[in-house]
Amino acid sequence: MSGSPLVEAVQQRLRSAGYSDLSTPFKVAGVEFAFTGAMRGRNGRALDLVLLVDTTTGGFGDRDGVRVRQRVEALSRALDVTGSRYVVTVILVGAVLAEDMEALTETCRVLHVEGIALDDRGQPASEISGRQLDDRIRVLLPLMLPVPLGETRDGSEPAMEQLIHALPAGTDMALVDAVITASSNGEQAVTDAVAFMISGSFESEPGEGNS
Amino acid sequence: MSDLILKSLDINNFRSIRGHIHAPLDAKVVLVHGENGAGKTSLLSALELALTGEIQSLERADPGYEKQLLHRSAAQGSVLLRTLAGTSEQSFQASLNAAGAQSIAALDVQRAIFFRERAFLPQSLLGQLLRIYQDAGNDAASPLAQFVAKLLGLDRLDALEAGLKPLVDVRNVRKNVDGWLAMENEKSRFERLLYDQQKIREGLNEQIRSEISELATLCAAFELPVPVREETLDEIAGILSDNYDFEAFARLTDQQRKLASLLREIYGAQSAINSEAAVTPGGGDEAREAFGRWDAEYGQRVSALRNRVEALLINISLPSDPEQFAEAALIRLSTERKQLTDRTSQARADITRHAVGQDELDVLIRQRSTIDEEVAGLSNSAGSLSTALAELTTFITGETCPVCDRNFGEVSHTTLSEHVHGKVKTLSASAERLLNLGRTRSEVQVTIERLSREIEAIAARKIDEKSLAELDRRLASAELLTNELKTISEALREGGRLRAADVAARRAMGEFQARHVSLTAARDTLNDFALSIGASALEEGESFEAAAARMNELLLAQAARLEGRLLMRRRGSDYIATVRSSIKRRKEADERISADVDSMKRVERALGRAQALREHGVAVRNAVDNVRSTIIREEFNDRLNRVWRDLFVRLAPSEPFVPAFRIPESSTQKLQPKLVTEHRDGGETGGAPGAMLSAGNLNTAALTLFIALHLSVPRELPWLILDDPVQSMDDVHIAQFAALLRTLSKEHGRQVMIAVHDRQLFEYLKLELSPAFPEDSLLTLELSRGARRDSVCLSKRFSFKEETSLFLAA
Repeated sequence: MSGSPLVEAVQQRLRSAGYSDLSTPFKVAGVEFAFTGAMRGRNGRALDLVLLVDTTTGGFGDRDGVRVRQRVEALSRALDVTGSRYVVTVILVGAVLAEDMEALTETCRVLHVEGIALDDRGQPASEISGRQLDDRIRVLLPLMLPVPLGETRDGSEPAMEQLIHALPAGTDMALVDAVITASSNGEQAVTDAVAFMISGSFESEPGEGNS
Repeated sequence: MSDLILKSLDINNFRSIRGHIHAPLDAKVVLVHGENGAGKTSLLSALELALTGEIQSLERADPGYEKQLLHRSAAQGSVLLRTLAGTSEQSFQASLNAAGAQSIAALDVQRAIFFRERAFLPQSLLGQLLRIYQDAGNDAASPLAQFVAKLLGLDRLDALEAGLKPLVDVRNVRKNVDGWLAMENEKSRFERLLYDQQKIREGLNEQIRSEISELATLCAAFELPVPVREETLDEIAGILSDNYDFEAFARLTDQQRKLASLLREIYGAQSAINSEAAVTPGGGDEAREAFGRWDAEYGQRVSALRNRVEALLINISLPSDPEQFAEAALIRLSTERKQLTDRTSQARADITRHAVGQDELDVLIRQRSTIDEEVAGLSNSAGSLSTALAELTTFITGETCPVCDRNFGEVSHTTLSEHVHGKVKTLSASAERLLNLGRTRSEVQVTIERLSREIEAIAARKIDEKSLAELDRRLASAELLTNELKTISEALREGGRLRAADVAARRAMGEFQARHVSLTAARDTLNDFALSIGASALEEGESFEAAAARMNELLLAQAARLEGRLLMRRRGSDYIATVRSSIKRRKEADERISADVDSMKRVERALGRAQALREHGVAVRNAVDNVRSTIIREEFNDRLNRVWRDLFVRLAPSEPFVPAFRIPESSTQKLQPKLVTEHRDGGETGGAPGAMLSAGNLNTAALTLFIALHLSVPRELPWLILDDPVQSMDDVHIAQFAALLRTLSKEHGRQVMIAVHDRQLFEYLKLELSPAFPEDSLLTLELSRGARRDSVCLSKRFSFKEETSLFLAA
């Protein structure tokens, strides 16, 4: 379809987030609708219908705010008529008048992508521009949570793991194990554990039984 | 374990809800709608009450809120929440009456806190949330600190940090580590003990050295083939105890006897010649006669005396002249008496000293065991116990014992604090006493060592009582003989004079006699004898008497020398015995020292190990500090801020400034994050959110902060319950917010429950949150109430429907 590079970049970003392209034009309630791009989510986002409007170079009246609004409103009504639960998100790519956008938000969710630096392959030019693009359409992207601290590789708690890494070499690991085990029972347990270890060291010599 | 899912809620007469309503909740999303006052907040509060037994937001507004929980028109009410975990159902319940609410079954404390802090956002909290976190400060109870502490492992790190703190100060180590103080005391006890024992050993060594040097002086006379040293003692003892001198002495005695008998023979021959020679020079007969008379009168007595003296003083030869005999005998007797007196008095003194010494030793040993018993009776831990009790006194306010919680008045009339102070005083007195006892004991020990040494020395040289009696007896006879000699000294002098006259008469006959054959023979014999004893031969003209006296003198001199040697041998043996006993004692001391050195080393090693462990503990604590500050920074920068930013950008895509927590780079242990705003595309930090964001975006910031906090901590409860969070968000935000709720519900498995008052929003959310796949579900609850009727909760369930409206334009 050789749309604008920015539209292409947005579509690519959405595809990588699990959206699939819908071929346009499509029909709702017998009415045909044509858009520069249309995409659909899956699973939890299966009801997301994303429409791309290229306000700079697009066809189908994309460059005219009023016509865009009319088209989206018509689609919205058609969806209502069929009892559809699709949620429409319109992504305006390129410069747009504020009042046009304002008017459009009454009908659907409106996102606006503009001014993202792209390289010659149509990819965001830098990490920052990639993040700027993400920020514009973030509501459509999955929410990435950092790995919770509590769920790391070997089941031991990460703070404790970090602690063990931070210890100076040669630290007595029996002592470390004892206090780490005791630490889940509070500071007194730690004091008791270390006191027990130390007083235990009075009792026995290494390499000798009980003396 | 599968997540806990809200299933249904039954409410009776709770707050603005009149009568009974039943609200099903078992859907991924529950949308609650009602006009203001219809009971949305009551519904969510009922949830909180059932789960936690209280309602925090109401408590913040009115601490006496409990009385307002029951609906005005009713006498009692209840809330009952059912939950599902997999297939097992669980109930949380509270009953209500006019006085308040009684929780019947609630979540455990940890999950109740999670619910209040992270799962449920009451409407009233939303507006305050930012301020609450902005004013967090850095004390441990602040919400931010609690959030951070909640992060996994941080409470454990805190426990480590606080728990290891006592290791830093050795006084706290003594207080906390059983046996540390005891071990230190043990070490100083061994040090003292070793010092004392070294002193004793040095004393012994010094003693041995001086004894050896005396022995060496003594032995110099013997010109021993071996040097006098400790190692050669046995050899020296052998040399000293050989019989050479003794035999020489016996030989000498024989020679003396032989000389005496020779002389007697010669005198006999002479007198025979004298008696038969009338022609011999005159006067000889008278003199002989006078002497004969004297001899008849005294001879027997003198000879008896002579025999007795010779019996008493073995190895002696006395001159035959009575006067000389008396003189010589008296001198010898007085020497013997003096010797005997010395020996007996020495022996007596030894016996007495031995007995007295043993008594003293006995007393000291008893003293020592008394001290030992007392020491054993005094608890070693008296000092630390007293310190502990002294600290305890600050916790004593009344008569109730802080340890057993009993009233001390039951036990005694004195007050508890007096009792404890008394106890502390006693205990610290005990500790001091223990030190005193230790000091006294080592003094006593030193005295005991000295006494035992003395007693052994005495025992070595002491003679038994039988020998003492024998000595006494000899002394008595010596004295008796002396007296007898003295009584007849006059007679003896007379005898001497007579004998001298006699001898003079005989000398006159000397030449005559010289010619006599037998005398000549006798002279030869005497000459031979003289040569045999090493004296020079008789000279021409030398009289028998003179020669005899000369030889006698020689023999006497030899006898005296040998006697001296024998005495020295005896004394040498005495010294050797003493030295040996000292060496034995030193060996014992060495063994004790080496045993104590071993114990001391063991104690030192134990203390060394403990000290190493203590240092490791401190190292762990330092590492804890580092790790904690790293984690806090990571937590804020990499996790909380990132999630918050993501959420905020979702809801406010056109707002260039995003709120964030900022942790100063320098701060380590203290948690001092500040709320700031940052430009989305980087760059300088902006001002506080309140100054940078619009009211709507501030609200968004608070809401996203709450959700970010919820998402940052481990998921203890999978619920997000929001009470009308969109009061002042504009339409743009609502559309984004709906998308966010959907993301949370459908991609992050949260059971979302949200109450809204706005009809349009309700409808919009209903559409946006519609089930998107077969397992997805949505419930709507519509609350309404009238002035005169019970509240009504109308529920409606939406399930997944395949979307068919979209067709490709063929």
